[in-house]
Amino acid sequence: MDGEPTDAALLHAVSTRDVGALHELYRRHAGWLAIRLSRRCNDHDLVEDAIGDTFLAAWQKPAGFRGDGEVAAWLWGIAIRRLVSRMRHRTGVVVQPADAVVVPAAEDQVLLSVEYGDMGAALAKLSPEMRAVIQAVVLDGLTAKEAAQLLHVPVSNVKTRLYRAKAQLRAVLAEGVS
Amino acid sequence: MTDWHVDDEALRRWVDQTDSMADGASVEQHLLACATCRSRANRESQVLDLDAVWARTREAIEAPPVGVFERALRGLGLAAPEARLVAVSRAFRSGWVGAVAATLVFATLAAAFGHTRGLWLFLAVAPIVPCVAVAFSYDARVDPALEPELVTPYSAVRLILLRSVTVLAVALPAVILFGWLIPGIEPFAWLLPGLGFTTVVLAASTWTTSLRAATVVSLLWLGLVSVLAAGPYSPDSMLRSEWQTGFFVLAALSCVMFMVRRHHLRELRPWR
Repeated sequence: MDGEPTDAALLHAVSTRDVGALHELYRRHAGWLAIRLSRRCNDHDLVEDAIGDTFLAAWQKPAGFRGDGEVAAWLWGIAIRRLVSRMRHRTGVVVQPADAVVVPAAEDQVLLSVEYGDMGAALAKLSPEMRAVIQAVVLDGLTAKEAAQLLHVPVSNVKTRLYRAKAQLRAVLAEGVS
Repeated sequence: MTDWHVDDEALRRWVDQTDSMADGASVEQHLLACATCRSRANRESQVLDLDAVWARTREAIEAPPVGVFERALRGLGLAAPEARLVAVSRAFRSGWVGAVAATLVFATLAAAFGHTRGLWLFLAVAPIVPCVAVAFSYDARVDPALEPELVTPYSAVRLILLRSVTVLAVALPAVILFGWLIPGIEPFAWLLPGLGFTTVVLAASTWTTSLRAATVVSLLWLGLVSVLAAGPYSPDSMLRSEWQTGFFVLAALSCVMFMVRRHHLRELRPWR
């Protein structure tokens, strides 16, 4: 860092009611949070509301960040949950398909395929429903209940899909390694 | 932090949502840990009006804290937007409440020291306080907060009743309290005329503005009281049951009238 305050230092300033510090956090994080949320929800208004909620929450309870890990990850945890709770009150909102292009470009695939076998290809073989569950629970860190609200399906459905998706991934990866 | 960064192509595909789930997940995991790539991603973010979102967020942060009166209304079970709607009424600003209190104090003092003549004065003032209070809380010229409310999709009758009840909840106890201070007068005697005049004003507001209605009602009442005071009557005559029954009938009739004609509420439909 070139002399600029860290995110954690800004968050500490926020706890002393420094609006300028919150604005700097917003400047650093609102953009990528908005893109990442937009990948989960196609309703721009909802995403905007969720972003606003997130920084309002950060203003009201900056102590929620316990000082370990990244502020970015903490903000994301708030943002995705605010989005879920906003979506719960709406019907007719379409969750973005988790995967627009089924077969990813080869050069991008290198990112994931080195250590764990061909994870990218394994994920691509999952049905869209299963990918959505994997994304919500494994990658976004939601609970089964929150994922169910995000995807508008029963909780039991999320659990079943997650179980099957994991089994299928294991099988595909084991196949690739052997 | 590593020297590795998401390449431009992968970042652009992530922003455009044209990458695969695995690639997207990879980018997202990296973003959580890399401020450099985050600021690169921020520059790509043009889908949303983030400046407007920040303006709203800042507004919410800097909004004045909810007042005591509004909190009390919420405590009584009123929903937050309705509590705000009622609390923004001019009738509840300190200046207005002060003016009502000053009028009552004046009338009470006159009654306490001026004997019969003062008692007549209190009798003249006390019952019209509630109806004037209600009228003022609906006049758009008096209450600037009313204007945006009028164009919001909200049941006009519900708004009127909600506000009237709360205005009365403030004005009536004040009148009763001051009435208690006067020896020899039953404080509740003014309750029925006060209610009656208020419902008359509400009913009349289906024809004309409530402020005009309140003015007419007040003038009629003041005229009646001064005629009675000039004649061989004592202030106690107002306490007799036939008067009270009359006020009750007046209140009941006005209520019915208001509900029957509620679709003609004039000043709540200024564009008509």
